[in-house]
Amino acid sequence: MAQMWITMGPQHPMTHGLWTLRVKVDGETVVDAEAELGYIHRGVEKIAEARDFTQVTPYCDRLCYVSAMTWSSSYIYAAEDLLEVEVPERAEYIRCIAAECQRIASHLMWLGAYGPDVGNLTIMTWALREREMFLDLLQELGGSRMHYNYPRVGGVTRDIPPGWSDRLIAKTKLFEKRIDEYEMLLDESTIFLVRLQGVGYATAEDMVEAGVSGPNVRASGVNYDVRWTHPYSVYDELDWEPAVEKPTSVKGSDCYDRYRVRMEEMRMSCRIILDAIEKIPGGRNTTYANGDEMILAKAPTRAPEGATGFSNYECTRGASQFYIQGGGDGRGKNPYRLSIRSPMFITIPFVAETMIGYKVADIPAIMGSFDPCIGETDR
Amino acid sequence: MSDPGQNYAAFNSSALLDFVGDVTDESLKATRIKQFLSVLAGRFFNWAGRKSLFTLHLGIKCCAIEMAASAIPRFDAERFGVIFRSSPRQSDVLLVNGPISKKFADPVVRLWEQMPEPKYCIAMGECAISGGPYFQSYNILEGVDTVIPVDVYIPGCPPRPEALIDGFGLLREKIIRIGGAPGGARGKPVIVGED
Amino acid sequence: MHISREQNEAATAEAVAAADAAWGALGVTASSVAHSSGHGYAFLRLTVPPAHVVTVAKGLKHDMGVNYCSMITGTHFPDGGAERGWEVVYHLMRQPVHNPEPNTAHVLVASELKGMDLPLEIEVVVPLPAGDEPTVPSVQSVWKGADWNEKETWDLVGIRFDGHENMHRVLNPHDSPEGFHPLQKQHQIRYHDFNEMYDDAQGFVRKPVDEGRVK
Repeated sequence: MAQMWITMGPQHPMTHGLWTLRVKVDGETVVDAEAELGYIHRGVEKIAEARDFTQVTPYCDRLCYVSAMTWSSSYIYAAEDLLEVEVPERAEYIRCIAAECQRIASHLMWLGAYGPDVGNLTIMTWALREREMFLDLLQELGGSRMHYNYPRVGGVTRDIPPGWSDRLIAKTKLFEKRIDEYEMLLDESTIFLVRLQGVGYATAEDMVEAGVSGPNVRASGVNYDVRWTHPYSVYDELDWEPAVEKPTSVKGSDCYDRYRVRMEEMRMSCRIILDAIEKIPGGRNTTYANGDEMILAKAPTRAPEGATGFSNYECTRGASQFYIQGGGDGRGKNPYRLSIRSPMFITIPFVAETMIGYKVADIPAIMGSFDPCIGETDR
Repeated sequence: MSDPGQNYAAFNSSALLDFVGDVTDESLKATRIKQFLSVLAGRFFNWAGRKSLFTLHLGIKCCAIEMAASAIPRFDAERFGVIFRSSPRQSDVLLVNGPISKKFADPVVRLWEQMPEPKYCIAMGECAISGGPYFQSYNILEGVDTVIPVDVYIPGCPPRPEALIDGFGLLREKIIRIGGAPGGARGKPVIVGED
Repeated sequence: MHISREQNEAATAEAVAAADAAWGALGVTASSVAHSSGHGYAFLRLTVPPAHVVTVAKGLKHDMGVNYCSMITGTHFPDGGAERGWEVVYHLMRQPVHNPEPNTAHVLVASELKGMDLPLEIEVVVPLPAGDEPTVPSVQSVWKGADWNEKETWDLVGIRFDGHENMHRVLNPHDSPEGFHPLQKQHQIRYHDFNEMYDDAQGFVRKPVDEGRVK
């Protein structure tokens, strides 16, 4: 049968963002696949050379817009490494809790987008309803629903508001019961299982060789997680384990394993939040003023030439890294070079290869199970 | 009227219909009834269609997440008739919700051209209005109105889902205001929150 | 559970010793550098002359178990002098990831990891001489993850990778002008100068030529 290239163009309801996937099909079977990125390349690395270290934070929020808090925190850790700042412990606890809330919100957005991909529209309404709960919490911290601009070099902008911790605990406990409802809906749905199981196999070693990280690798049976291998923030003081899922075959993990590992990660994030909010220094019911030394340390604003900062951070989709070289404009007020490592930029070509051998109808299931977010890919 | 390739001289019904249609058209034009009817039909069409705006399923950047959030039960844009369609041929509204890069300028214009009249464009978010925080970028156009005409601007970064629903409401009012003007005169663009 | 500071320092010191022994003669300097904030863990920094990049890369992969190529950054230093007009920095990791048997999970316990199973962060700095055509040998054949990283570095910065197959633009449009690499320092961002946009110091009045101009 003749083979032909099909373009799943930039505008497509199932690609989770603006990129082109060209697949070569032989009848219904995918024979080759190529990804084309760059439709929202904004040149953030170039713009950052004309911005202060504090002014770059909103740009980093907008890199992966679904999980903004983790990306701005990741950048701030690199800026603190560059400027040699000691962050107060309460600020680290707040950042950790905010990042875990964001991780839950991001996985819920993934679930809400993935269900419709494979035909289950109900889970979108349910998951996005819970996401609104966590977005309300993060809005109290950062001021906006999606781009919070919350971490600062040396701490956080403002402390947790009065009563926030009660709302957080109530919502997290409610959410833990809701995860059981999602599993009841999806794990007992034959269509969902048939579309996800046996599709999109990938082994852990192949993934690491290709540069994939995060929940995709943990779905293949290895519990590698940057939060314990290169500890940052207060994860070494909290009681948690990385969520890991056993791969179903010698060919690796399938889409179902990747879905399961994210559900377990949401549960683990709830556990981290409930543990951290009790252990927060200064108490969970006190609110310090903006700029208080409990939440924000004095930080230098200029970095000399030759200084570098590097952060390795477990974002929701993998390990993100920022590499900043100091000594830019304004006698070091701006970064000389800001380099962003996006996990999805490396994963998407890998996903394109994973699709080879499956049917065209499996493409959305495989693509969605790796959780693409194009904002961070194109920078 | 008759096709030179035809080799029968029999009575041709399509030729008769063409003739009758042309005569009617000329007479209506002469009495200006045609203009009156098209404006009336246009107005009626707009009145009927304004509450059923099919929006193209285009998600560029962060504002697309707020667009998705406006479709969930908390904000529920669907009760206002806003449904997302996958094909540009089936949609009335192009909701541009992110920055337009040089690579995407051509696809956006092609999507706009594929949409059948009457069509409207909403620029959602700062990036679509003016380039937003990326106005200095080497790869981002300074707003989608450099390539396609925009009817409603919704400021915000990202605008709340309520602002997006307000934008659709103002678009509905604008559709009634501009009426069924033939030739697609657009009038002044509306900015949400301007009053 | 987490990797303790002692494990991290032991791993990094061992890596420094191994790197010195293997490549010291080639002009490669190895050192253990601590992060300046947070937990202050150490990483291995290697400074490698461009000619030996592939040797070091292969050695890292096969002898030191570095299986993850994370990030490749290119920087343009127009004022860096003749020896350092450009710089390529590779960030690599050693991750203790091994395929488990089907239906089992390979649960790593931090305190039990030792030797080549300890996670390690590596920074390889390759200074390139000044000039118009900076070139560095490609490590595409060593790590698959280096493939798109190198494409992006060439696309944005203009550093060529010798031996890289199928080099093409990934972020900029395919019809970008030949030789247009935006992160080079001679390209200025739009409106880079305050005066370009505004007539007054506070930035209220746009220049007359921009009055009424939508775009």
